[in-house]
Amino acid sequence: MQVSYFETGRYHASTNLPRQWPMPADAYDRGAGLRAFQGMIERSRFVEELGYDWVSLSEHHYSPRILTPSLPIAAAYIASQVRNIKIALLGPIVPQSNPVLLAEEMAMLDNMAEGRLIVGMLRGTTNEMMTYDLNPGESRERTDEGMELILRAWKETQPFGWQGRYFHYRTVSVWPRPLQEPLPPIYALGTSQEASDFAARHHVGLGVSFGPFDVMGKVTAYYREQCARYDWQPEPHDIVYRANIVIAETDEKAQQLVQQYPREAAFPLKAAVAAALLELDQRTVAGQGRRSANVNRALPINFCGGPDEIVVQLKEAREQIGCGVVDLSFQTPGSEDPDDLMETLELFGKKVLPRIRDI
Amino acid sequence: MAGAFREGFVEADGFHIRYMAAGEGTPLVHLHGAGGLRLNPSHDLLASKFRVIAFEMPGFGTSAENTRTANMQELAATMAKAASALGLDSFNLLGTSFGGKVALWLAADAPERVLGLVLEAPAAIAPEGGRPPSGSPAEMARRLFGHPERLPPLPAVDPQQAAQTQAFVRRVFGPARDSDLETRMRDLRTPTLVVFGTLDAMIPPDFGRLYKQLIPDCYLVFVYDAGHAVGTERPEAFVEVVGDFLHRQDAFVVSQIPTLVHR
Repeated sequence: MQVSYFETGRYHASTNLPRQWPMPADAYDRGAGLRAFQGMIERSRFVEELGYDWVSLSEHHYSPRILTPSLPIAAAYIASQVRNIKIALLGPIVPQSNPVLLAEEMAMLDNMAEGRLIVGMLRGTTNEMMTYDLNPGESRERTDEGMELILRAWKETQPFGWQGRYFHYRTVSVWPRPLQEPLPPIYALGTSQEASDFAARHHVGLGVSFGPFDVMGKVTAYYREQCARYDWQPEPHDIVYRANIVIAETDEKAQQLVQQYPREAAFPLKAAVAAALLELDQRTVAGQGRRSANVNRALPINFCGGPDEIVVQLKEAREQIGCGVVDLSFQTPGSEDPDDLMETLELFGKKVLPRIRDI
Repeated sequence: MAGAFREGFVEADGFHIRYMAAGEGTPLVHLHGAGGLRLNPSHDLLASKFRVIAFEMPGFGTSAENTRTANMQELAATMAKAASALGLDSFNLLGTSFGGKVALWLAADAPERVLGLVLEAPAAIAPEGGRPPSGSPAEMARRLFGHPERLPPLPAVDPQQAAQTQAFVRRVFGPARDSDLETRMRDLRTPTLVVFGTLDAMIPPDFGRLYKQLIPDCYLVFVYDAGHAVGTERPEAFVEVVGDFLHRQDAFVVSQIPTLVHR
């Protein structure tokens, strides 16, 4: 099993932040922000030394929770400071992007990272749709079309035009091209039926996230069924499971930490805004049917325990979900101190990572 | 709108050729695919911009069995004569699938007559072992459309007539890659637009780039989420780019689509 470290640009300020989204700009502490960006490099180098396989990034906006609104900038910054670890964009929010610009930026990144770029393409969490006024009712279709356009922009060797439903270009000819041949590893990210359908049809990987093992297992079973329809079968490395983890020296300590983990989002939306989003943002889970979008709820902890227990749980995840890669968001409940995060990264890197390579 | 099209007949090469015509302005001649002439919403939209003449080529539809035309180049010559018989000295030319190959031959042999050439999912470069759509209307629809469920059912075709047409297509179509035609494509100077639907199940849309590599003044456009019958499945998207290309030719790459939100 391969392990990816999800780097969020941990923002740690002494002042109490208002619990709201969007976060007002006047709550920003410039010194804390600078330390957050410096910390991204420090942690990326650290996990590289510890033998982690990927460092991943994800697009989020208007909040101190994740400080990477521009993935290409964050990835270029990290790529210039590491040598071996792969850099995974998991991912850019495709429906609110210019897909051609994304294809260009990711091609640049693959060259800057000397062929170590991993590409995920994301519909985005519900609140992000307000960032650039994306109509939630259109987000699904814009995602599917944008992903297809990105793939076409990379595969096509002649200039072309695109008559889409949501995107329209008379001339596309991406330059530079990605370094990896034929293309970098690509994942459609999402637990929806549509994400699996797209991934199967285009022979790309699937990234699922934060759900219980059994539910995510149904999603990946559906993905495999769809792949079989297109006469191929995904390998374990084609399936990524993004998950929250709380790890401590012992199971008891980890359980104590989890007690401090919040049940609600750290920076919630107004109730009426959340209700409007829930009405408009229709989602499905492959193999399960419709589900409500996740609004104002904290994402669950998926792995919890001391190193031995974490190894057991990773084996269970591998067995039930079929994931050959886990993308881990390390949680340190009750503390935003980056030093605590470094300790958990070291603990996992030294006590777990060497024991899961053959899973 | 479809009612605006009027049926007519013209004589050429001894064939009694049916056509449907509507609209005013610069003539746009349409040569249909192997399934024959079926007017679709894109014809109506094109007729609001051009004088559209959609021919039914001899050997298709209700025309008599065509045992004389030997190959695609001959068929193209017959259609050029049919256009002349209607007084069309020069015209825009749209060829769909099988008709795309006929249109390419026509443009290669009579370049002075073709103002602009549009190839809709052209079959001039075809997959080895490929076959035109056949079978029940539902089977045909699955091969022609990316989303057949979004369209009205195709009409039933008389089996004897279908067999006759398919035999004609097989006889005249020629090889999947026609080196004679491809040689002529390299010399073609006509501004050409190639359009493929991203869900084309008959001819891989990736073949579009081969036209760009062969034809000196060629543009390639993908219509997202459409199958082989692009103009039937996404008529507005198809006609917008076709109309813009035929009106502005090379300059059609300069967008004139407004993005202003409020003034």
